[in-house]
Order: sequence, then C-alpha cells, then structure tokens
Amino acid sequence: MFQQLLALIVVLFFLFRLFWQKQKKQIGANEFIFWLVFWVLAAVLIIALKQIDKLVTRLGFSGSGIEILLYLGIAVLFYFIFRLRLKLEKMEKDITKIVREIALKEKK
Amino acid sequence: MKTIIVIPAYNEEKNIGEVIKKVKPLVEEVIIVDDGSSDQTVRVAQEQGVIVLKHLINRGQGAALETGNQYALKQKADIVVHFDADGQFSAEEIKDVIKPIKRGEAEVVFGSRFLGKKSEIPWFKEKIIIPLAGLVNKFLLNVYLSDPQSGFRALSKKAVEKIRIENDGMAHCSEILYKVFKNNFKVKEVPITVIYRGFGQGILSGRGRGSGGLKVIRDLLLAKLMD
Repeated sequence: MFQQLLALIVVLFFLFRLFWQKQKKQIGANEFIFWLVFWVLAAVLIIALKQIDKLVTRLGFSGSGIEILLYLGIAVLFYFIFRLRLKLEKMEKDITKIVREIALKEKK
Repeated sequence: MKTIIVIPAYNEEKNIGEVIKKVKPLVEEVIIVDDGSSDQTVRVAQEQGVIVLKHLINRGQGAALETGNQYALKQKADIVVHFDADGQFSAEEIKDVIKPIKRGEAEVVFGSRFLGKKSEIPWFKEKIIIPLAGLVNKFLLNVYLSDPQSGFRALSKKAVEKIRIENDGMAHCSEILYKVFKNNFKVKEVPITVIYRGFGQGILSGRGRGSGGLKVIRDLLLAKLMD
C-alpha cells in the first residue's frame, strides 16, 4: 500500500511536469497526449495492483502482478524500439534524397 | 552508343587523379560523385576537367552511384559503367565490360574476379567473405553470380532507368543483383582483374556508411521486411 502511494506520487510529479512542459510549449500536442495517456495508464495500473494480482493468478502465471507488468512493459519497449529503428531508416533515406537533389541541382 | 562512366569517390585524393586520367580517353563522359569527402578529392577531380557531383555529407556508395546514374540519364547515356575510385579496377577492361551491351547480348554486365583471370585477392576475402556474400544473396534474394560483390559493372540505359538503387550502403551490390533478376534483364559476366591494395570491406566495418558485412546483411533484411 505504501509503495503504491510512493509510485503514485512519482507519477503525479511527472504529470505535473508534463503539463508544465505543455505550458512552456516545450512539447507538441501529439507528444503531450501520448505521455498523458502513458502516465494515466501507469497510475491506473498502480491503483489496481491487487486486482491485477488476482487476474494474473487466475490466468495461471506464477509471478505477481508487478512482474507481469514489468515483462509486458519490456515487450512494449522492444516494439517501440523496432518502430523507432524503422523510422530512423526512413529518415536516412530521406536525407539521401535531399543530398542528391542538392548535388544534382548544383549542376543544372 | 554514348558510354558514361560513374565513379563514386570518398576520400580518394591520392588515387582519383590517376583513375580519371586512365578512363577519360576511353569513354564519352566521366562523372565523379564525391560522397562528402573530407580531403581534396573534389579539387583533384575538378582539375582533371570532368563532371564532379558533390554530396554534402557522406551517404554511402550505393547512394553515390544512384546520384551518378540519374545524372548520366540526364546526359543521355546509352551505357553506364560503374567503376571504383581507388584504382583497383583496370581501365583497359572497360571495353570488355560494355561489349555485350553494345552487341545487344545483355542489358547488364558484371565483371567477375573469378572467371579465369587471376587477381591477387587476400585469402580471407577470397575463401570466406565473398563465398559468404554469395550465400547471403542466394538465401535472401535467390540469385547467384560468381562474383556477387563486384563493383565493376555496366548497365544499359533501360536497366538504369528501371533499377533505382535505394540502398545507400554496400548492400547496393546485392540490391542491384536482385533488381536485375527481378526485371528479367539479360545478364552476362565477364572476367576482370582486380589489383588489391589494402583491405577495403570487411565483415564488421569498412569505409563509409553502411559498409561491413554485418551491416550489409542488416540492410538486406530491413529492405526485405519493408518490401
């Protein structure tokens, strides 16, 4: 119970920071929404930890709710990194297109 | 038939002058594509009085070749020859590489180091790296040539128009192979000699973006995924 409260305080801190950054226009609307949903989801999961524990045992996992959340979190991370790498690859190709345009235009 | 030679170059100030001197009398036009060199490659090339295209930053040999290809098409090339800037290829063999295209026997010609003419190839490269490259090509792309990584090639205008090199790094060799076979172009291989000085491309690293065997495999896999 105490750890959950601690975790919620951390989440609240990040939420406040998020709104602060939006105020200062340091982040765009899309990023803001993304992290808003992320932190609210995190808070919900923290509050519902007891229920998640029950659900996880019923599904037959030997670990606790937190552990399963951790593994799920890692899986999601891998997915995000995969998407990031694809995006980077596309950006590199786009940079090449620009560099090529400049090289060809100079010769016009 | 108008033959244009495309030579991608990255930090080759020591060799590019000689290379240009040797190839210039043998073709209609010489295009040097400088891939963001930090040395005097551009100046040396310009002193030879040839066309020099400049990439602001290094993008990789595949990218440089594609830029050269596109410019060659604009210059109404009938045949485009790809040639290395480091002096490893023999200018005298240009005529051998373009002959099948001039005769209409093929749309694409690859020079091969393994067709009889003996080159001094470092043992590791000949027995391990190149066969590995061939295997990679066979499994990922279903093509097989005796010299899959050869940078000495000639393409007809039609082939250049159809084959857009999308891979910036060294995987462009395999990419060109793949697209040649996908488009059902008639292919020929001719023997060439290669003079080795230093190693060039290894398994882990190489010169420029996207070199190194592992990076090539990664590029090919990514390309296949996005296809």
